Amino acid sequence: MAASELSTRSAGPDPDAVRDLHDEVVALARDLPAGLRRLTVRDGDRAVEVEWATGPAEGTVMAVAPVAAVVPATAAAATPAEPEGTPVRSPLVGTFYAAPSPGADPFVRVGDEVEPGQTVGIVEAMKLMNPIVVDEAGVVADVLVGDAESVEYDQVLMLLRPAGGAR
Amino acid sequence: MIDRLLIANRGEIAVRIARACRELGIEVVAVHSTSDRNSAVVAMADEAVHIGPPAPRRSYLHVPNIVEAALRAGADAVHPGYGFLSEDPDFAEICAAEGLTFVGPPPAVMQQMGNKATARRLMAEAGLPLLPGVVEPVRTAEEGRAIADEIGYPVIVKAAAGGGGRGMTVVRAPEDFDEAFVTTRAVARAVFRDPTVYVERFLSGARHVEVQILCDAHGNGVSLGERDCSLQRRHQKLLEEGPAGHLTPEQRTELGRLAVHGALSVGYTGAGTMEFLVDGSGAAFFMEMNARIQVEHPVTELLTGIDLVREQILVAAGRRLAFRQEDVVPRGAAIECRINAEDPTRGFAPAPGRLEVLQVPDGPWTRFDTGYRQGDTVSPDYDSLLGKLVVWAPDRDQAIRRMDRALAEMRVEGPGVHTTIALHRALLRDPDVVADRHDVQFLDRCLPAVLARAASLDDAAPGLPAARGGLQLVPTPAADPRPDRSTEGEIPCPPRPSLSTT
Repeated sequence: MAASELSTRSAGPDPDAVRDLHDEVVALARDLPAGLRRLTVRDGDRAVEVEWATGPAEGTVMAVAPVAAVVPATAAAATPAEPEGTPVRSPLVGTFYAAPSPGADPFVRVGDEVEPGQTVGIVEAMKLMNPIVVDEAGVVADVLVGDAESVEYDQVLMLLRPAGGAR
Repeated sequence: MIDRLLIANRGEIAVRIARACRELGIEVVAVHSTSDRNSAVVAMADEAVHIGPPAPRRSYLHVPNIVEAALRAGADAVHPGYGFLSEDPDFAEICAAEGLTFVGPPPAVMQQMGNKATARRLMAEAGLPLLPGVVEPVRTAEEGRAIADEIGYPVIVKAAAGGGGRGMTVVRAPEDFDEAFVTTRAVARAVFRDPTVYVERFLSGARHVEVQILCDAHGNGVSLGERDCSLQRRHQKLLEEGPAGHLTPEQRTELGRLAVHGALSVGYTGAGTMEFLVDGSGAAFFMEMNARIQVEHPVTELLTGIDLVREQILVAAGRRLAFRQEDVVPRGAAIECRINAEDPTRGFAPAPGRLEVLQVPDGPWTRFDTGYRQGDTVSPDYDSLLGKLVVWAPDRDQAIRRMDRALAEMRVEGPGVHTTIALHRALLRDPDVVADRHDVQFLDRCLPAVLARAASLDDAAPGLPAARGGLQLVPTPAADPRPDRSTEGEIPCPPRPSLSTT
């Protein structure tokens, strides 16, 4: 949690600007699709550089994290020991639907391979259907939420394990 | 009737609402952001729904997630608290459309009262006294200068959509008008997304007096007495008290009557506050209306014995008010100090952090409303209000002494955590405050002197712990509660400017 230790008291003429930057960095770090590796913050002219893990091999440097369905847990929650696999989390509060329409085949079943950009479910909120899209390839290891069950923000919907195994 | 209520808020007000629900036998649904997942209200609730990440606009301001949470959790009502969505007419309307009872006024009335220029016009029509100025929006600096010349300087340029003390500029001379006009419009556009401003006479040396009202949906309304909130820093209230002792009983009754009349004239329902500026002669001028429960509502609760949040919920459920105006009898004096996690010596910069020690005061007529427990962390994502310390006593002098005793009992410690506790103790020792002759500009004018006094208290305070016993620790504010000013010269503070003759 290096990001949360950024001090707003580290000088800087405009406390508001420093605070904004601090908030931005914390929010950014929380929204990363994977674990934080390196964080560089400059205040003069405001530069933020974030590096996070994409896989076991290399890191990527990007300025902005795309909004993805997969958001990592920000803190060690009181959830039981995190099961194996990459969690696919709900980005909003609503009702989870496993299939595009009642009676239709589900988007995915346990054991299915998924590709980046593939829709694996829907969360309905305020009568809007929000597709849940995975941003990395994998195999559905488990679906943790039943069809038409209500879900809260950040709830784990399903788990993915790496496809093939050697990636 | 309401059976299950969702609290669309956090912190102390969420806990306050949850307590009212418990006492009414209403089930509680809490919503929380990621950083509030272990908060007090979550622990109290029958059900808690995680609605988003720490950033308010993605959690406590995110209407779809809150409404979905209410529907999923089977709530039949929503209480918005204060701040966040409490004065958002769209939110109130969406709740109604989804079949959820919104604890607050009708959306259309909320919209009217939310625009200060509209509220001014409606209250002028209802016959409430207003400061000289315009009711209609002012479009150009030239137009504004003409108005200012007519009503006389100093004037104040105010954002119509403004609130929370932002978007107002005092102009003392014609040559400063254009710049103030342009800046205020820019701030209004940036902060409130509405550049509309209006101009009115600026009253110096005035007091901020607000009347608590409560109206049911059957055309009944009562005034629950007034609060004086003149101790403000840059329009942010720090200490509130009631009653307004500088008004005569007749003036207070008349103010209450005006407030209820104004609220009923626009079809207001629920709890609300009419804010007035009062000049040295006791003449009151309507400023704005707050269409929600307010931070300082406990002051009125202690004075009247009426549970405002409970009444708010009952009225929203369609009940008639159970009491009439003559049943409301404010007694004694009450004071509230806002204990903020801020560092007054550093421009009131937020000083959040983990509360390693949080020992709250107790004892006779001493109440502390908070959403934090020892070990919790004050998050930098939200406002810095740590809690509200409220005391009641038979008269103002006793209330001041009781508050000082309670402040001295309070301990808040943690890395990086600072509070306004010492500042409050210093305020309650100020001769002008003790004599109840301060005005709304007092703190902006005298802050350095008050801070110096707070620092000297701080120096004296360490090492005064329990070993030396309880109450004797607290030096009394002054031997004479109304000290002669000439003997009180140790810290220079510029005197209050004289009231303008016009």
